[in-house]
Amino acid sequence: MIDICTKRVYAMFRLAACLMVVLFALSSCNHRNGSQGVVVKGGGAMDSTLVIAMLGDADYLNPVLGSTVTSGNIIGLIYPSLLQSEFDTTTGLLNYMALEKKLREVTPGQGKKDPKGALAKSWTMSEDQRSITYILRNDAFWNDGKRVVSGDFKFSYQLYGNPVIASARQQYLAELIGADKGKVDFDRAILTPDDTTLVFRFYKPVPEHLALYHTSLTPLPAHQWKNVKPDEFRHSPLNLQPLGAGPYKLKSWQQQQEIVLASSRSSNLPKPGTIPLITFRVVPDYTVRLAQLQTGAVDVVEGIKPEDFTRLLKANRQIEIKTVGLRVYDYVGWSNIDQNEYHKSGKIRPHPLFGSARVRLALTEAIDREAIIDGYLGEYGVICNTDISPSLKWACNERLVPHSFDPAAATALLREEGWLPGPDGILQKQGRKFSFVLYTNAGNARRNYASIIIQQNLRSIGIDCKLEVQESNVFFESLQQRKFDAWMAGWSIGLEIDPLDVWGSDLKKSRFNFTGYQNPRIDALCELAKQKMEPTGARAYWLEYQEILHRDQPITFLYWMKETQGFSRRIEGEELNISGTFYNIDDWRLRPSANVAL
Amino acid sequence: MLIYILKRLLIAVPLVFGVLTLTFFITRLAPGDPAAFFIQPGISPNVAEQIRAQYGLNDPVPVQYVKWLANVLQGDFGRSFSRAQQPVFDVIAQALPITVTIAGLTLVANFTIGMLVGIISAVRQNSFLDRFLTVTFLFFYSMPEFWFALMMIILFALKYPLFPASGLNEIGAEGFGPVEFVLDRLWHLVLPLTVLSINGAAGIARYVRGSMLEVIRQDYIRTARAKGLPENVVIFKHALRNALLPVITLMGSSLPFIFSGALFIEVIFAFPGMGRVTVEAIFARDYPLIIASTFVAGSLVVLGNLFADVLYAVADPRIKL
Repeated sequence: MIDICTKRVYAMFRLAACLMVVLFALSSCNHRNGSQGVVVKGGGAMDSTLVIAMLGDADYLNPVLGSTVTSGNIIGLIYPSLLQSEFDTTTGLLNYMALEKKLREVTPGQGKKDPKGALAKSWTMSEDQRSITYILRNDAFWNDGKRVVSGDFKFSYQLYGNPVIASARQQYLAELIGADKGKVDFDRAILTPDDTTLVFRFYKPVPEHLALYHTSLTPLPAHQWKNVKPDEFRHSPLNLQPLGAGPYKLKSWQQQQEIVLASSRSSNLPKPGTIPLITFRVVPDYTVRLAQLQTGAVDVVEGIKPEDFTRLLKANRQIEIKTVGLRVYDYVGWSNIDQNEYHKSGKIRPHPLFGSARVRLALTEAIDREAIIDGYLGEYGVICNTDISPSLKWACNERLVPHSFDPAAATALLREEGWLPGPDGILQKQGRKFSFVLYTNAGNARRNYASIIIQQNLRSIGIDCKLEVQESNVFFESLQQRKFDAWMAGWSIGLEIDPLDVWGSDLKKSRFNFTGYQNPRIDALCELAKQKMEPTGARAYWLEYQEILHRDQPITFLYWMKETQGFSRRIEGEELNISGTFYNIDDWRLRPSANVAL
Repeated sequence: MLIYILKRLLIAVPLVFGVLTLTFFITRLAPGDPAAFFIQPGISPNVAEQIRAQYGLNDPVPVQYVKWLANVLQGDFGRSFSRAQQPVFDVIAQALPITVTIAGLTLVANFTIGMLVGIISAVRQNSFLDRFLTVTFLFFYSMPEFWFALMMIILFALKYPLFPASGLNEIGAEGFGPVEFVLDRLWHLVLPLTVLSINGAAGIARYVRGSMLEVIRQDYIRTARAKGLPENVVIFKHALRNALLPVITLMGSSLPFIFSGALFIEVIFAFPGMGRVTVEAIFARDYPLIIASTFVAGSLVVLGNLFADVLYAVADPRIKL
């Protein structure tokens, strides 16, 4: 009996081993089926392939739907664009370029972007600023050989505006005829008298720079998509076979693993990409991305934390850190209004702790922002005064003097406001202790670091600040519902200034005014600035806007951060721009491995 | 036995269904919004509404449940919210072979290492080697897997770059020959499998040691020795085969643990398997994908347990099911 039993046991182990071999073979086959096309041999695949590590996969490689940063980067390489844009670092203004026309003259030393990538030859803005007419080039072709025509744009804008498709870019259509009545009238708003003429018509006068920005959405080839119904658009198999006209085309896409782009030999927008293959590899874990950059397995890693710079550069001299900014800032939000009262009765009353601008100023003065910068960001952080970035030089108010770290002044201000130390050392006013919870989202080491310093700073002037970390999705939902008294978060700003969503007094309309701050002058300034047809004409309004925010301290602005990217030195010709790390990637070159200086 | 298996499978249906219903309500009632990504400045407030309407999230939860139930009973688990609206089973079909491979190879490695260590520990009971192995394996056993994985990467991918830190294959591996490709795949699996198997092997080693010690004391082992059989034959042919019987049950029940371990490993080593699918689905509040992943994981646990029971009966004719 025992012998039969033991033989069976061994037979089962043998069977399990055989099963494993089959499984392993299956998973390998699965992988191989995902790839196709050319393989560059000789000199190693790495010599002809640029490898970029990314945190997550692209959601769609379709410009109407793609909404992640990765999607945006890849779509920019595959699809053609009506105009080329460039951020002028000397003025902080965005410039738009067609083949034969530029929005504004370029400052010497700027203007490195080749306008040959633009589909438009030129444009004309009507005198009443209610329409813009583009003349398109007639020598641009989709990868299947069909010509790019004005009809592609009209077709694509109808997709962008279709509520069933729910494109995240439908806001770009907000000035087109009919949008004011809730539905764009495409027959009147976009005209295509012939294949190379494209006219956009607006229901109100629109500044030229805004018209250019909003009418240069990426087109899709109408002939490929015309038979796809809107309710099938999001899951159409065509989403996996993007047909573009840009310097690269999709070679393979293994979802959640890698996206490989190959230089498009036929492209004249502006030319085939210089590097033969670009691989975007999904590496979700930060430590592993760092390790891969260090070992040379990947060439570009975005968002390297300052604390890792020294070790990384010491370990591998072929790595360099490049910075770009400033577009991102962190802040501590104080609820200006009594949120509970607002939720209950809709009435606006000052928050019992943070309702007074003087108290908020005291809090800002009590927080040692320099210490946070010195301790975490080093030279990659700059004190933040308001939400207009120092990079937007034309609008930034450089006369503002940052509120310095001054606990004594903060204590005096709080005393004047009636906050006096209680028996336990915590400030009190009319029996209420100055005690609150500061919320922040999980997984952000920088904010964790800052929140601990803030807690200590506030404790030293008698304020009890408890820290609580929430899962990001939960945190964001609570923030939107204005549930927090105090929180720490950040914003990434757009290159066009439009802050009404964040500070507008109409709390129902201004969905991102989490603090409940209300100031009619801020509303008026934002509206006045919008009416200026040339952005620099609004400078005076923006200067005043910043003075008001600096005075009222609706939030404590902490610091601007430079975005820091790790690059392998084998990449040549890369130019980083505030408008994107991969802004001129089609011009990058790879040094052969043998020539890389050690 | 066939009736027994059928009975167990029938009982499993309401069990898995109950798990899915629970998951449905937990995900719907937990805070978070699948359309949250579309709520940001510069994006029209209509977008989040349109997305919610597309996903059917504007209905009350009981109505959503009835609709979901009707679809599931027809075998339709829906389309993923976060992955380009692919049918959820397509997403899982891509991810499952990878996780099953990792789990399978881990299982093999777990048992091989575990048995080996267990035998040595039992045969050399209370020796220095026994204590050394026990302490070493318990040390690794008590280490969190994600931390152990990161340490392995720092050591063997960074300090001594012997193995790759992530991915299933090298860049340009599609141009390799079949043998080279498989070797490259194996090379990429060394670190993750080591992490998973060292952790699991420690537990198995304890079981094998205990079981072996019990068997070694049996009369038939003494008889085998008395017959003058070499010690190798006594240990491997007579003792081990019998000591393995209780270990078999471990195989089925260790499946869920290996799957949950694969979850961390897949995120750290960037393998697009079930673990990563589930984690990302949870963070994105991708309800259909969360439910489908739970369905797959739940079914595997039930089947794993059934498999262990059946194996036991197959291996040991004394057991009748």
